Amino acid sequence: MSLSKTVKRELYEKLVLADRIDRMIYGRMMQGKLIGFYHPGEGGIAPGVAIGHHLTKDDIYTPHHRAHGIPGMLGKNVPVERYLAEHTGKETGCCKGRSSFHWSFPEYGIYMASGYIGFQFAPTVGWGWAAKRKGKGQIVWCSAGDGGYNQGRAHEAMLMAMNWKLPVVFCCENNGMAIHATVASMHPTEHISSLAKGYGMPAVIVDGQDVFAVAEVAKKAIRHVRAGKGPIFVETKTLRFREHDIGTPDLAGHMPRSEEELADLRRRDPVLVATERVLADGVLTQTQIDTIGEQADVRVAEIEQFADESTIARPSEQELMEAVYAP
Amino acid sequence: MPPEKNAENTRELAFIEALKEAYIEEMERDERVFMVGQDIQGGIFPHTVGLVDRFGPERIVDTPISESGMYGTAFGSAQEGFRPIVDFMFGGFTYVTWAECSVTTGQYYFLHGSQIPLPIVITLAVGTGQRLANDHSMGLHGSFFPQPGIKVAMPSTPYDAKGLMKAAIRDNNPVVIPWHMGLMMDRGPVPEEDYIVPLGGADVKRVGTDVTVLANSLQLKNTLEVAGKLADEISMEVIDPRSFEPFDMDALLRSLEKTNRLVIVDEDWERGSFAATISARVMEQAFDLLDAPVTLVTFPNMPIPGGYMEPYIAPNPDKIETAVRAVCR
Repeated sequence: MSLSKTVKRELYEKLVLADRIDRMIYGRMMQGKLIGFYHPGEGGIAPGVAIGHHLTKDDIYTPHHRAHGIPGMLGKNVPVERYLAEHTGKETGCCKGRSSFHWSFPEYGIYMASGYIGFQFAPTVGWGWAAKRKGKGQIVWCSAGDGGYNQGRAHEAMLMAMNWKLPVVFCCENNGMAIHATVASMHPTEHISSLAKGYGMPAVIVDGQDVFAVAEVAKKAIRHVRAGKGPIFVETKTLRFREHDIGTPDLAGHMPRSEEELADLRRRDPVLVATERVLADGVLTQTQIDTIGEQADVRVAEIEQFADESTIARPSEQELMEAVYAP
Repeated sequence: MPPEKNAENTRELAFIEALKEAYIEEMERDERVFMVGQDIQGGIFPHTVGLVDRFGPERIVDTPISESGMYGTAFGSAQEGFRPIVDFMFGGFTYVTWAECSVTTGQYYFLHGSQIPLPIVITLAVGTGQRLANDHSMGLHGSFFPQPGIKVAMPSTPYDAKGLMKAAIRDNNPVVIPWHMGLMMDRGPVPEEDYIVPLGGADVKRVGTDVTVLANSLQLKNTLEVAGKLADEISMEVIDPRSFEPFDMDALLRSLEKTNRLVIVDEDWERGSFAATISARVMEQAFDLLDAPVTLVTFPNMPIPGGYMEPYIAPNPDKIETAVRAVCR
């Protein structure tokens, strides 16, 4: 089940855009033009782009928190300028400027980001239960990192989703690092996906640096669960080039990650990998690639402009008090 | 207007039967309503017994002993348009997944831009009297009611049990309904026709002139017993808050204009409790109405013991009488 040229081109465009948005947000944080914190995605943006691309608007999706879900949102065609507006405290933000980074796009099946790691697992059971009960082919894609899978809630969700044969893809975007903790120090086996065995859940491992490889696996996994065959586990082996969040030191345990190690990781930059592939496969020419880069820069400028020109959300206390309970 | 309690079509029902009738009527009225919990098909408490025969395992959903996953079934499906009732069995079990059912639930609607409501009913059996110690006896209304975005109501009679539960199921917000195990088999009049008891309305359960006693659930029963006993000496007005959030402050202030004295009985620790909060509000809003300090009858700062030691901690008629006499001195 290979991907068409059109799909490859779309994936490549979204990957380049995700990369440039990530750098733009990193830059804004350094310039003091962002509220709170940012967890850079550099090195690990390919899985989100590939997964989101194959989900329908109705499918329920929890993107991995790195790059604040933007690669996955781009994949799913979410208007990410409303995310940046949110993270800059603007009225046009996806949560009316109330949430800092807690994005929510319910009309796109993206219900919530939580500051509690692994808090997508418990609702995943409910989303899957609802999707199955409605019986309209809707599925749930639950992405979390290697750190997220350390939550007991991951066990509860896999257990219950398997008991009920829910249409859920459990995905671990394993970048080998949870804040400062290496996966080797926090998980007893080589692959997080080995957890799936205990539930009798099929599992696949894929190179998370290769957006096209993830896209092929995602397409198959989505087909599996949409057909009513129950949950499947997808582990994408990916990387994290930067610190956990801007301002914290980039440690592995208590020691800084070395320049050599990081330089080595950067040889597997997902944009680099994809560019080599599209050129080698004749999907795009260098001229087309240059144009895609220019178009991405234009889009990044539009996203920033939207956020910058929006009004800061400063509702009255009474307006906020009236927003606590639903009518 | 809710129907009169002594209307012709009113029967006597046990408290627990009244709760069950609310579930049945609301599930028949609205396909989106369903129940999820642990062992609710078989029934640890009688309020869910037999429901699976009527509605099937798709709507009476048993889960593993996985409180987060169980609660997540309610939370996620509510976002997808269902109206779940999640039964935690014993109230203390909510602490196992407290972050979800307090913080994430209460603040979801507001934080995410008031986009989609979370119509979830959380129901729990609570209360001392069974000698079960801490995790099986805690009250929980006092822990839930300070959480913004959550409503909390607690019935004291079969009539209120059915009416409050139906109001909770129809509400578009997360509503917590604890019910006291000590009232489970109490019988009382319940109309057959459809009615709700609106959330946020207190009920004067006994009219009096000398002192107002705010008490709920099992402690309301104890307070009414004391009011009967002292009737010749002290005229007690007994108010059942029924709902902690929203709370009917107007009803309490109206009563204090008449009595100028207040005792609050609350089956909870004093610190950070509903009782302490209302006491502080009365001090702020109605200081001039008071002829005596507000007095609380609550738990001392002691874990809830099991065995035969519950009387040290739980409010009872003697403690209530002592407090009432003290403020009326």
